Amino acid sequence: MARMKFVCDSERCIECNGCVTACKNENEVPWGVNRRRVVTLNDGVPGEKSISVACMHCSDAPCMAVCPVQCFYRTEEGVVLHDKDVCIGCGYCSYACPFGAPQFPSQGTFGMRGKMDKCTFCAGGPEANGSQAEFEKYGRNRLAEGKLPACAEMCSTKALIAGDGDVVAEIFRTRVVQRGKGAEVWGWGTAYGSKQAGNPPANGVTK
Amino acid sequence: MLLTPRKSGASAAAPTSPFIHSLRRGLANALPTLDRRTFLRRSGIGVGVGLAASQLTLMRKATAADGAQPAIGAGKVEVRRTVCSHCSVGCASDAVVENGVWVRQEPVFDSPINLGSHCAKGAALREHGHGEFRLRYPMKLVNGKYERISWDTALQEVTDRIKALRDASGPDSVYWIGSSKHNNEQAYLLRKFVSFFGSNNCDHQARICHSTTVAGVANTWGYGAMTNSYNDMRNAKVALYIGSNAAEAHPVSMLHLLHAKERGCKVIVVDPRFTRTAAKSDEYVRIRSGSDIAFLFGILHHIFKNGWEDKKYLNDRVFGMAKVRDEVMAKWTPDKVEEACGVPEAQVLKVATWLNENRPGTIVWCMGQTQHTIGNAIVRASCILQLALGNVGKSGGGTNIFRGHDNVQGATDVGPNPDSLPSYYGLVEGSWRHFANVWGVEYDWIKSKFASPAMMTKPGITLSRWIDGVLEKNELIDQDSNLRGVVYWGHSPNSQTRGLEMKKAMDKLELLVVVDPYPSATAAMAAMPGAEVNPNRAVYLLPACTQFETSGSVTASNRSIQWREKVIEPLWESRPDHMIMYQFAQKLGFGSELVKNYKMQKVKGMDEPVPEDILREINRSCWAAGYTGQSPERLQAHMRNMGAFDVRTLKAKGPLKDKINGYDIGGDYFGLPWPCYGTPELKHPGSPNLYDTSKHVMDGGGNFRANFGVERDGQNLLAEDGSHSVGADITTGYPELDHLLLKKLGWWDELNDTEKKAAEGKNWKTDPSGGMIRVFMKNHGCHPFGNAKARAIVWNFPDPIPQHREPLYGNRPDLAAKYPTHNDVKTFWRLPTLYKSVQEKNIADKVAEKFPYILTSGRLVEYEGGGEETRSNPWLAELQQEMFIEINPKVAAGKGIRNGDRAWVHTPTGAKLNVQALVTERVGPDTVFMPFHFSGHWQGVDMLPYYPKGAAPIVRGEAINTATTYGYDIVTMMQETKSTICNVEKA
Amino acid sequence: QTAAQPPAAAPAGVQSQNIFEVKPEASAEPGYLDQTNGERNKVQPGNNAPMWRQVSGGVTGYSSLPLSEAPEAGNLIQRFVQYPGSRFTNAGEAWRQVRNDWLIPYGAALLFVTLLALAIFYFAKGPITLHSAETGRKIQRFTPFERATHWSNAIAFVTLALSGIVMAFGKFFMLPVMGSALFGWLTYGLKNVHNFMGPLFVVTTLFMIATFIRSNWPGKDDWQWLKKGGGLFGGTEPPSHRFNAGEKMVFWGGVLFLGSIVIGSGLYLDKLLPGVVYLRENMQIAHMIHAASTLLMMAMIMGHIYIGTLGMKGAYRAMRKGEVDETWAREHHKLWYDDIVAGKIPAQRSGSQPAARVSGAKGLST
Ligand SMILES: Nc1nc2c(c(=O)[nH]1)N[C@H]1C(S)=C(S)[C@@H](COP(=O)(O)OP(=O)(O)OC[C@H]3O[C@@H](n4cnc5c(=O)[nH]c(N)nc54)[C@H](O)[C@@H]3O)O[C@H]1N2
Ligand SMILES: Nc1nc2c(c(=O)[nH]1)N[C@H]1C(S)=C(S)[C@@H](COP(=O)(O)OP(=O)(O)OC[C@H]3O[C@@H](n4cnc5c(=O)[nH]c(N)nc54)[C@H](O)[C@@H]3O)O[C@H]1N2
Ligand code: HEM
Ligand code: HEM
Ligand code: SF4
Ligand code: SF4
Ligand code: SF4
Ligand code: SF4
Ligand code: SF4
Ligand SMILES: [Mo]
Repeated sequence: MARMKFVCDSERCIECNGCVTACKNENEVPWGVNRRRVVTLNDGVPGEKSISVACMHCSDAPCMAVCPVQCFYRTEEGVVLHDKDVCIGCGYCSYACPFGAPQFPSQGTFGMRGKMDKCTFCAGGPEANGSQAEFEKYGRNRLAEGKLPACAEMCSTKALIAGDGDVVAEIFRTRVVQRGKGAEVWGWGTAYGSKQAGNPPANGVTK
Repeated sequence: MLLTPRKSGASAAAPTSPFIHSLRRGLANALPTLDRRTFLRRSGIGVGVGLAASQLTLMRKATAADGAQPAIGAGKVEVRRTVCSHCSVGCASDAVVENGVWVRQEPVFDSPINLGSHCAKGAALREHGHGEFRLRYPMKLVNGKYERISWDTALQEVTDRIKALRDASGPDSVYWIGSSKHNNEQAYLLRKFVSFFGSNNCDHQARICHSTTVAGVANTWGYGAMTNSYNDMRNAKVALYIGSNAAEAHPVSMLHLLHAKERGCKVIVVDPRFTRTAAKSDEYVRIRSGSDIAFLFGILHHIFKNGWEDKKYLNDRVFGMAKVRDEVMAKWTPDKVEEACGVPEAQVLKVATWLNENRPGTIVWCMGQTQHTIGNAIVRASCILQLALGNVGKSGGGTNIFRGHDNVQGATDVGPNPDSLPSYYGLVEGSWRHFANVWGVEYDWIKSKFASPAMMTKPGITLSRWIDGVLEKNELIDQDSNLRGVVYWGHSPNSQTRGLEMKKAMDKLELLVVVDPYPSATAAMAAMPGAEVNPNRAVYLLPACTQFETSGSVTASNRSIQWREKVIEPLWESRPDHMIMYQFAQKLGFGSELVKNYKMQKVKGMDEPVPEDILREINRSCWAAGYTGQSPERLQAHMRNMGAFDVRTLKAKGPLKDKINGYDIGGDYFGLPWPCYGTPELKHPGSPNLYDTSKHVMDGGGNFRANFGVERDGQNLLAEDGSHSVGADITTGYPELDHLLLKKLGWWDELNDTEKKAAEGKNWKTDPSGGMIRVFMKNHGCHPFGNAKARAIVWNFPDPIPQHREPLYGNRPDLAAKYPTHNDVKTFWRLPTLYKSVQEKNIADKVAEKFPYILTSGRLVEYEGGGEETRSNPWLAELQQEMFIEINPKVAAGKGIRNGDRAWVHTPTGAKLNVQALVTERVGPDTVFMPFHFSGHWQGVDMLPYYPKGAAPIVRGEAINTATTYGYDIVTMMQETKSTICNVEKA
Repeated sequence: QTAAQPPAAAPAGVQSQNIFEVKPEASAEPGYLDQTNGERNKVQPGNNAPMWRQVSGGVTGYSSLPLSEAPEAGNLIQRFVQYPGSRFTNAGEAWRQVRNDWLIPYGAALLFVTLLALAIFYFAKGPITLHSAETGRKIQRFTPFERATHWSNAIAFVTLALSGIVMAFGKFFMLPVMGSALFGWLTYGLKNVHNFMGPLFVVTTLFMIATFIRSNWPGKDDWQWLKKGGGLFGGTEPPSHRFNAGEKMVFWGGVLFLGSIVIGSGLYLDKLLPGVVYLRENMQIAHMIHAASTLLMMAMIMGHIYIGTLGMKGAYRAMRKGEVDETWAREHHKLWYDDIVAGKIPAQRSGSQPAARVSGAKGLST
């Protein structure tokens, strides 16, 4: 079974926000909800790198673990989805998520957040695949149509790659080989587990 | 990538009992979950960015325009292929249309240009199918408020007003601002329209964009366009970006560059700012804005010093380099270079070494070079550098000049220019006759429309100066009347400099017409109370369609022409531009002449010229730029079979017959990049890289153009012996093709009889049969525009060898003394134009002490141009909600400005802008930067009350051009938007 | 994470020029580890280790989204922290560990153990009864105002507690029975009730404090009471004033101390404190404080409720009707009773109440 993963290649990402608006477009995501966002480190100085981030569909997903109503579930492709009919908008998933992926339509007081929304890996939700109800609550179900996430498909520089983890890793590996350096993959340790995941970034351990 | 459809997985804990199950279902139905509708409504509250209640509608917003909302998947689904309407990269996109509603946007992986990729703007195209903040119906300004009127009334009143102006003050009293957003057919039709109206007073964005490039480069070697392509950059071994921020302005081009980079291409970025492009560079060079010549000649100094120039190439194909060399060696020694542009010798040498060691190498430039009083000279310096390295006319080399708007290239080639007819035919009588012939009207009839024969051949006022056409003293201008009416037909006001004076000019007008899907910036500026408003002024807003509500061709920066299919029917009451032109023409009395060669089609029950027919007329007239081979059929076949084109070479593997029209695209280059010479039947494949002698002319090869004579100062201007395109029967330089040459060569008889008749007395540009081109190219492998040398010295320009000159408003009076600007010019494009008097006064007044920072401006990836359109798109607007100024931390600290604070920006015009401070290392301490896409605030005040109701963009901010200063290029009237001065204070 | 080593020999034809000019490892250089990403990129293009260190260090980068709307958009991975009970890991994960590994299981255990203890106590000892017969003469113990305050506070608390319990533990014992949709809706409702009831609880708690602080002022006799364990485990009940030391502990420890913490953290979680930027990390801390303090408070109040209802005959009536029998007062709050009898405290403090009669009370009004 394919295991869906994201990679954002910081050597390529140019902070063009194509992925962000592709997502908005495909899933009709409202103002204020950013399923995907782009972050630039070392902005304006040599060494600047940008990275596009959304839900990483973690293997041992913290959001899932803390949800009081257990509305998360994982598809066979490893995509972490949730059920908005069940979600109570408590915000716990957003506290737990290392990547800040869960979003809420309102920033309101009294904890009024509305139902959580996050990247679905363009795989919809629990409703019937491709149904209107699914679309209205979760956006498109591209995976069911045999397509990959809109954000990755439209990425202006092919920095953002999505799909079967093995294929993604292979593409990325090829690039790394071409460049000869820079095999760090954004967020994979945290999201998909590695011997280092969840361990402190020990100074000097990474080269 | 293999995908397996997800099984509809229910929540982890499935309901257990049937009772609970039914209860659950009942509940789910009774209490609808927070769907997107609710999301939106919720988020509208407390967002504070002015998301009005009106845009709470949902996914198929467009249905609001025409009623019912069909269920998903229930309707007829069609896929229409279109092209992004924002920048010149020309990314293709598939629009999925269901029951006439644009419901989805799919990437076109087949497109060799973008391989499915999009930047933020392109990925948000579908919002055009909603168009919620657009002008929905014609409006008229009545007592300071915009009121709805009918189209009939609007057309009648506008044309009555125009007629009145023409009768009272002559046709030159109306100024027509066309658009680079128009497709080729519309841009061409507008030039034809203005000609029939009897004027050359028309222009479009290219004036304030790449006019200096077009003039400077064309005068160097032939055509003023990007020589190679984005795709060809994959072949480069080194890329020098100087004055281009492609990562934000041409994001998808980076796809190709980064590919090259991964294969070892060195990337150098030269810019006053550390841009997103600089972040991808191997070497970043910070220069002082406006000092590019110093830097480029600094490199050249090292090249000559070390003998790195391509001597054979220079001998065979370049004129005048020796003189340039002498000047560079004498004037641009490393110390002078460092003094002028701030770059130390070691870094200049490093860049020179890289350029020498890695060939072919390409140079990329854009607004950082063009928008200066010396823009024409800067771009020529770039050309000279590439010539010295022998990089021009080679795959992987060339001058990759990234054009601006989606169709600025096409509008430049065939659109409304004040100094030429379509395809760069000058305003001389011969050109007029050529076009009269194609248009099927009498030359004398056109002439009768003009104020005088002299006005017919006199270039019009430029877009950058229309305000002076209004405000300047009548006796100082070179036409009878001042401008009294202006038609903004797809252009924003906040993109032209000197906003304060523009407001005055707008108030003084008799007539202001805005034809635009988003006319709001102009509308608000006009409606805003002014000091002295002409009591008789009339202001009309007419809703135009976007490019997704019509079809037509669009020329990308690499000269590839793509065909857009119509995606949706015109939204609201909008009409396509060419329909409006026709309707104007009918009322003005030349409707039937305008559309003589076109069939009509019904759109919304009204007549509209068929775009394909307009293109066919372009094909029959625009020989000079090679717009003749691109028939609609060929272009459409290319669009349907994009996948066949190679990404690296753009060439189609063939044979491959299009399923619909049977055209075989085999051997063609994608989009038949112009010049695609001869008739469509000649099957010229288009020219992927210009001046490339390694290819046969019938395979897109070529050489430099013979456009400047055959000899100068006793030196041969034609190519030397042995320098010619592959397979040419003439193996040395030769002049451009005309009937005499053909006869002299003894090839005349290869023409058939009809061709002979048509060609007699003509040259290749005016021969309506295309026969001479056929014989010359196909039979003999020769290039119709001749085979000559490129010019390192452009003797017909004020500075034949590019000279560095300081901007009029600079913060370095010491340098201005050494590198002073030009002398004032009394009449220049019909207007007096100042240089020295302004610069000297500024120095005398010590203006630099009051305004110590260089103010430069440019682009943000999310917004396009003046920005009303993109700031009306919520998907984009959310990403950039504030107009800001980039300030170096050192400067900010000195002024107590912290990141996110408000700041006042003052400029010598007296304007003050209230903007957010972005404290960042992107700029050095001597420079500040502001994006230019904002409008809707005027010196601290929100202009919202002056917008037509419902048509204000979501995000508004100060327009930088409210505050920009005087200054124009000495050749083209390009406005100086990249270097002026300002002061910043904490607000 | 550690960069995978590039394969020793890159496939032919695709080598990058950049790479092979560069020494494979520059780690011997002095200051290597302090290089910025820019410096590192100069000597080792493509090696972004310094940047990744920033990322996992929680360094916040640039995001074009406005700070006011998305204050944390520039943060890629939450900072590494160690919360009590968690490993040193990124804050989200650490919080999850604290909540899921400590607060939820031990909190549940605490509540369960408390409940169990009370039950055992009840079945072993039974309710505390009066030793003498009731006199039938009533003393006013709580004015209507005091009762209204108490009950509104109690209702708010119980609502908060029940809804809180469902949020924290519902998924273990309710969800499997109810199914997710029903449980979801129920919890959604309760969560909103909780969020709105919280501020109400804040108000009633303030009233509680104001109302009962005087009578809960500690005295010497409280020490005696405590030393004897309130007589709960044998022996006689030591004398006390209006409230005994146990009740005072509920007041000071439960209502005032824990209550303030619960309230403070609750208001924070509710995003009701003005002028504060609500960041995830602060929310995590607020949550942990809230959960821990509410659990303790619930355990405490469970004891209180037990005593107030099942545990002591006549107590509930005191709070319901506002009056106690003389005998009750004498047996449970001797000193208070004495004061009333001595007339130091009026037996009737509210006007509307029918006259209470206490034998021999001098200071009694009729
Ligand atoms: N997102 C987006 N893309 C666009 C557009 C848009 O509006 N938005 N517009 C399109 C259009 S019309 C155009 S013309 C192109 C423009 O594309 P670009 O020219 O690439 O964009 P700019 O940001 O205007 O300017 C480029 C850079 O020039 C630098 N610069 C300023 N002064 C100087 C100088 O004196 N010398 C040098 N070497 N550099 C200098 C600026 O710092 C800036 O980073 O973009 C096109 N693409
Ligand atoms: N300070 C500063 N000023 C600058 C620049 C700078 O870098 N700095 N850059 C300059 C450059 S390079 C340029 S190109 C200009 C760009 O500036 P403009 O071209 O003035 O900017 P846009 O807002 O893109 O204008 C295009 C208009 O066309 C409309 N439009 C879109 N499609 C259609 C259509 O199909 N039909 C019609 N009728 N209208 C349509 C849009 O709604 C919009 O109003 O700005 C220039 N000004
Ligand atoms: C005093 C009695 C209270 C009790 C027993 C209580 C209990 C709880 C419990 C058990 C949780 C769930 C923790 C978890 O699932 O990990 C919770 C969450 C929460 N409580 Fe309380 N709480 C009380 C008071 C308050 C008050 C006074 C406020 C606000 C002023 C408040 C606001 C919240 C908020 C905002 C949450 C987060 C969950 C959400 O947003 O829905 N609580 N509380
Ligand atoms: C259903 C739940 C509750 C019941 C049945 C209950 C019952 C009682 C009773 C019977 C008394 C009177 C004791 C006496 O006469 O000495 C009392 C007093 C009191 N109760 Fe409650 N109570 C409940 C909930 C609460 C809660 C939630 C709080 C506070 C958080 C609280 C705080 C107090 C206080 C402060 C007193 C006054 C005595 C003191 O200071 O300890 N009670 N309660
Ligand atoms: S990225 Fe965040 S929201 Fe997505 S699965 Fe991981 S923890 Fe959950
Ligand atoms: S907000 Fe919704 S999804 Fe997130 S933890 Fe709470 S209930 Fe679960
Ligand atoms: S995968 Fe789909 S939902 Fe997720 S960020 Fe990309 S476009 Fe949005
Ligand atoms: S589209 Fe690609 S390059 Fe652009 S911001 Fe997203 S990930 Fe980066
Ligand atoms: S704006 Fe330019 S780069 Fe972006 S999608 Fe459109 S054409 Fe492509
Ligand atoms: Mo432009």
